[in-house]
Amino acid sequence: MKATIERAKLLRCLSHVQSVVERRNTIPILSNVLIEASADGRVRIMATDLDLQVVENLETVSVEAAGAITVSAHLLFDIARKLPDGSQVSLETADNRMTVKAGRSRFQLPTLPRDDFPVIVEGDLPTSFELPARVLAEMVDRTRFAISTEETRYYLNGIFLHVTDGDLKAAATDGHRLARFTLAKPEGAEGMPDVIVPRKAVGELRKLLEEALDGNVEIDLSASKIRFTLGGEGGVVLTSKLIDGTFPDYSRVIPTGNDKLLRLDPKSFYEGVDRVATIATEKTRAVKMGLETDKVTLSVTSPDNGTAAEEVPADYSSDAFEIGFNANYLKDILGQIDGDTVELHLADPGAPTLIRQDEKSPALYVLMPMRV
Amino acid sequence: MTSTVPSPTSDDEEAALGLRKIIHVDMDAFFASVEQRDNPDLRGRPVAVGGSSGRGVVAAASYEARKFGVRSAMPSLTAKRLCPDLIFCKARFDAYAEVSQQIRAIFLDFTPHVEPLSLDEAYLDVTEDLRGIGSATRIAELIRQRIREETQLTASAGVSYNKFLAKLASDQNKPDGLCVIRPGQGAAFVQSLPVRRFHGIGPRGAEKMARLGIETGADLAARDIAWLRGHFGSFADYLYRAARGIDLRPVRANRIRKSIGGERTFFEDISSGQALREALDNIIDIVWDRIAEKDARGRTVTLKMKYTDFQLSTRARSLSQPIKDKAEFAKVARALLDEQLPLPLPIRLMGLTLSSLERDAGTEERPRDDAQLSLL
Repeated sequence: MKATIERAKLLRCLSHVQSVVERRNTIPILSNVLIEASADGRVRIMATDLDLQVVENLETVSVEAAGAITVSAHLLFDIARKLPDGSQVSLETADNRMTVKAGRSRFQLPTLPRDDFPVIVEGDLPTSFELPARVLAEMVDRTRFAISTEETRYYLNGIFLHVTDGDLKAAATDGHRLARFTLAKPEGAEGMPDVIVPRKAVGELRKLLEEALDGNVEIDLSASKIRFTLGGEGGVVLTSKLIDGTFPDYSRVIPTGNDKLLRLDPKSFYEGVDRVATIATEKTRAVKMGLETDKVTLSVTSPDNGTAAEEVPADYSSDAFEIGFNANYLKDILGQIDGDTVELHLADPGAPTLIRQDEKSPALYVLMPMRV
Repeated sequence: MTSTVPSPTSDDEEAALGLRKIIHVDMDAFFASVEQRDNPDLRGRPVAVGGSSGRGVVAAASYEARKFGVRSAMPSLTAKRLCPDLIFCKARFDAYAEVSQQIRAIFLDFTPHVEPLSLDEAYLDVTEDLRGIGSATRIAELIRQRIREETQLTASAGVSYNKFLAKLASDQNKPDGLCVIRPGQGAAFVQSLPVRRFHGIGPRGAEKMARLGIETGADLAARDIAWLRGHFGSFADYLYRAARGIDLRPVRANRIRKSIGGERTFFEDISSGQALREALDNIIDIVWDRIAEKDARGRTVTLKMKYTDFQLSTRARSLSQPIKDKAEFAKVARALLDEQLPLPLPIRLMGLTLSSLERDAGTEERPRDDAQLSLL
């Protein structure tokens, strides 16, 4: 194999694929990227962690000899990073080595044969639909903070995608809070199986979306695999195994009869929570909210650090009462509210609270209180 | 009523019948051999690693020393009496850890399924090896050869179809030996074996078995599962299978650490409240350093003390939250000591352990307060 690629293009591509590669691998080839140069002048770079794989097509300056090889992803990435801007990088294989040349630099890297490189077998992906990258990115942003990191409940370690009558819904929960995003069911999503997209795939997808926000993303899936294609042919393809588990029926925890409505400015609410939480210790991160007519008093009492309180103007006319929340959970949700008001639908200090921008917003959050 | 006691089913036997290829690799007289390698003056002479002072114990003994009856965990004074020419070396854990890394890297060349038991021994599942060699015996030979070349130390290996037999096998032809127990030979191998050599049966366990008339694997195999459960509780299933050469435990790579702790044997027995508290504070420092280094979060603190008559006392306290800082750790530890004062006898050893560790420590700080109500 021999190919020449512009350093900037190579670097951009490697920065996409190398984050899929785990830093520590017991199986050596999983530390490598597969580089395939074809006679028609294209280079494909692929990385995998066995559950998630990313393939990116690259424009080249030239391909002098077709072929394929695998080399260390992080080594090649670090080399590409340090090569001078504007240089042309030649990759050439001979005798189980790959020579990387650019300007006056020359590296010889050990390789492993391409046949040993594991490729995820996608199988048949019968469901296919397209979403604007911006919409997909919003869907990820609005939900992924609620993904559980607790590995014992592995079926919560991802975003749950499912279709209902007219909608495609994305949901994530860690058992304390729930985030759901709803959009009109795209054409082709009928009959789609319920799937759980793992956290790492969500993270890698979001990174790739950031550089392709103006295009569309093609999504193909089966009950066990999902494939995201960005930038059409010659773009980036992310394929992930799906979490094999059953997502709980979350609709039953979304409260429908909460009769106490609190409206306030999400920004001043966020900042108020953030300020009083300063003195909260790691253990007691609870913020108490005292609700009275048209005002909320946020307060924190820490056995070690003293007390803090702040009044936030609000729109509230129900009975006065107090309720506590984890400050970080509140901030996570408020950080996702774009408008000038946020609605909190409350029932009592022990019941789930529904939070949303307004009734029209596609995103909806449910937060369980803390005892304070 | 007998039907209410389920016995290990015949599926177990099937599952265990030669389907897996397990290697147990054990370095020979590890710490002592490293010392002899690095200091030619010590070669061919009886060497013990460990403190030679009044209360030290032998951490490892070279084969020359073992001929005199010197064993690891033996008080140094006893060892010195058995072998007056015994040379004591201070333990150099950095050197041992380095060798340990080297051998682990060798294992990982052959299989990702490596379960380290300590610095110097590990189980390997080579049912499918990375090199496609296929023969576990051949792999064991290659590993021993590479260990010899790369570390100038010898290792013994046992090859069999489960962990229990592989470990017995590695012990069989020590030092620098290899032993293979093939499918079908396991039960016969275990028959004549003294129970003391079973992994998990210590001196006390062997004593108890002797009282019950059990000396060998065959004696154990003659008992039924209900009888074993009556005498050994949850240990019975393991014994029942082991006596038949069956062991279903998988080789677990990335074993999860269950506790972090440390202990000290004192130069002199201590009994006064003041001296005990000082000793405890010293151990708190040592153990908290280890906890902080591992970034571990645990809920249970255990205080261990060994009295001058070698009776062991342990007291534990579990909190609803992980211990959050050293001050809290120290507070719990001191409370555990205070509630036992005055002690019935002076003590020779004190130790502290933190357990009930959270998995995934440090990835995300999240409150696990009971105060946080649950949605699902």
